[in-house]
Amino acid sequence: MAGMCCGVVGETETPSTVEPSGGRQARRRRMDIHQLKFLAAAAAASDVVVAPVPGSGRKRRKVQSLETIANNSVDAKVLTTPLECEKVVQQKEDGHLGSSSETVLYPCKSSSETICDVQSSRFGVTTVCGRRRDMEDAVAVKPSFSSDLHLYGVYDGHGCSHVAMKCKDRMHEIVKEEVENSGESLEWKETMAKSFSRMDKEVTEWSEGASGSNCRCELQTPQCDAVGSTAVVAVVTPNEIVVANCGDSRAVLCRNGVAIPLSSDHKPDRPDELARIEEAGGRVIYWDGARVLGVLAMSRAIGDNYLKPYVIPEPEVTVTERTAEDECLILASDGLWDVVSNEVACSVARMCLNSQKPPSPLRSPGNEVNVAGGESSDKACSDASILLTKLALARRSSDNVSVVVVDLRRNL
Amino acid sequence: MSVTPNRTAFMAQAMHADNPHPETFHRFFECWISEQNTYLEELVSAANNHNRDENDDAVLCPLIERVVGHYEQYYQAKSNWEKRDAISMFSPTWRSKLEDSFLWIGGWRPTLAIHLLYSKSGIQMEAKLGDLIRGLTTGDLGDLAPDQIKGIDDLQKKTIREERMLSDKLAKQQESVADRSMVELSNAVSEMIRNENDDAENEEEKVESTLDSKKDGFEELLHMADDLRLETLKAVIEILTPIQAVHFLIAAAELHLRLHDWGKKREEAHVAENLTSGPCGLHVS
Repeated sequence: MAGMCCGVVGETETPSTVEPSGGRQARRRRMDIHQLKFLAAAAAASDVVVAPVPGSGRKRRKVQSLETIANNSVDAKVLTTPLECEKVVQQKEDGHLGSSSETVLYPCKSSSETICDVQSSRFGVTTVCGRRRDMEDAVAVKPSFSSDLHLYGVYDGHGCSHVAMKCKDRMHEIVKEEVENSGESLEWKETMAKSFSRMDKEVTEWSEGASGSNCRCELQTPQCDAVGSTAVVAVVTPNEIVVANCGDSRAVLCRNGVAIPLSSDHKPDRPDELARIEEAGGRVIYWDGARVLGVLAMSRAIGDNYLKPYVIPEPEVTVTERTAEDECLILASDGLWDVVSNEVACSVARMCLNSQKPPSPLRSPGNEVNVAGGESSDKACSDASILLTKLALARRSSDNVSVVVVDLRRNL
Repeated sequence: MSVTPNRTAFMAQAMHADNPHPETFHRFFECWISEQNTYLEELVSAANNHNRDENDDAVLCPLIERVVGHYEQYYQAKSNWEKRDAISMFSPTWRSKLEDSFLWIGGWRPTLAIHLLYSKSGIQMEAKLGDLIRGLTTGDLGDLAPDQIKGIDDLQKKTIREERMLSDKLAKQQESVADRSMVELSNAVSEMIRNENDDAENEEEKVESTLDSKKDGFEELLHMADDLRLETLKAVIEILTPIQAVHFLIAAAELHLRLHDWGKKREEAHVAENLTSGPCGLHVS
């Protein structure tokens, strides 16, 4: 599980160990007292939350009731160990890891504390195929990819998964180069726009030269032209959150309980996007929703060469000053956002971050940090990303679901 | 559905007998489904009596084993019949047309196990969402742990891969109906009919052996598909805790039994309608 410790090796498989059945019993046992206490509140909550989404008035109501539950919670004590420390310690002592449970059990050694303080990145990743037959989502989590910067990316592919996979493998390297090239005069919007443009070029060139690849798209078009991916990339700096977005994946900031979208979906019927497409000579045709040329249900993407210049890889970039009230950042593919509103997602995530977890001796520590994405991560954030994913599946999301939750709280 | 009195004996016979009548599997199926109904009641009562305070795995695990054993029995019997008459196993007379329309290579699509799990899990999760958000465990399918989600996701990807492999095999098998040997043979026999040639006897052997080779392909496919079905079912149960597995098996049995009922009811209603008012009613009566 070497990949576990550095969070850079995305391909690492998490052990899919199943707990011995006897152990699970006790996990339930310890909850019973709480269970009674919360029964009433929970019933109320589920009633409200379960209601089908649309209509902003209803969304608001849901949020409030979720918040009520949060406030009723006994204890808001937070349990988080900066994972980076463990990673660093582990790497230093081992070189490679025997098992992921070891990673977690390691105490935060003093030798690495400074690193923890400045650079810790606490996140949870969940990515599942869900009810689809193809997995086309890819998620990248790159803590400290460039000095004290962390990068998180969600890429939702279409046509095939290879563009999304390329983005996962390469985007952070490109951004790193662009950041380092610009040096003192770092201008985020420009840097991210350049990075996206380079990423797009790479996938185009790659698919032109791709022969012998065993993608399923190969049969459809020899040049793999009809393949692309959304990209929502968040670079978290000590003071800012930079979000660059192409397509309909989304980044939402949870600040003091309020959901603040940091990206705006590129749908073909968004008035400014519609105008841009038509100006470029393209058409938006309503065929199972608004689609560029009746084909693609988003107006910007990486790849999709055949839809240029209507579909462009140019990102919209937001730069947000970090504040003490920031709680978490949620990045997810439309598998989540189609069925869970920004507000509900934020409420769920912040409650996971705030709720105190009773000690769980019978859950092996490995299980607590391992999530479906195969990355190493933080317990509270993992819980949040898992719960959001399960909520999406519960609400009949028919797509792949990928969720990244990043803890932004500083005073831990 | 009442249980036939000599069920045990019949089941034994059904599993091992050399009786090649297709009707026999039909009867086996009826027996099996009534047993499934009994098991369902047992599962439901186990779930209702489940006490989180007490470790009742000792009760649940043997029950789960028996229910899984019951599925194994079904596939064993099915496999025996497939060896004798693979073709008729592809269009089962013991299923309603409604069930028929959902079949994949003579049975349920293996990925259904995961969809069933996601659906049931979603229902149980939304019922207790408030608890789950606060990190409380509910113990049922609404409370799948991260490693379980990961396990299910991996299983799904693997199952889809294998399903696709079998679907491709099925495609090849079906396409082979127009292969060279079949076209040659059909032409040869047609010519003989045209020429009123008496030599048809010789050709008949050829026809038999050619069709038999096709049948063998289908038989192999059925075995592989059934293996994948059972394997997937077991893999899901392996991922779940005992009480979660009980909930899953309940959902599986309920869906299977009700779909069968609904399909049969529709067909009966349809027949009744035709008898009274349909144009063929005249013929039937």
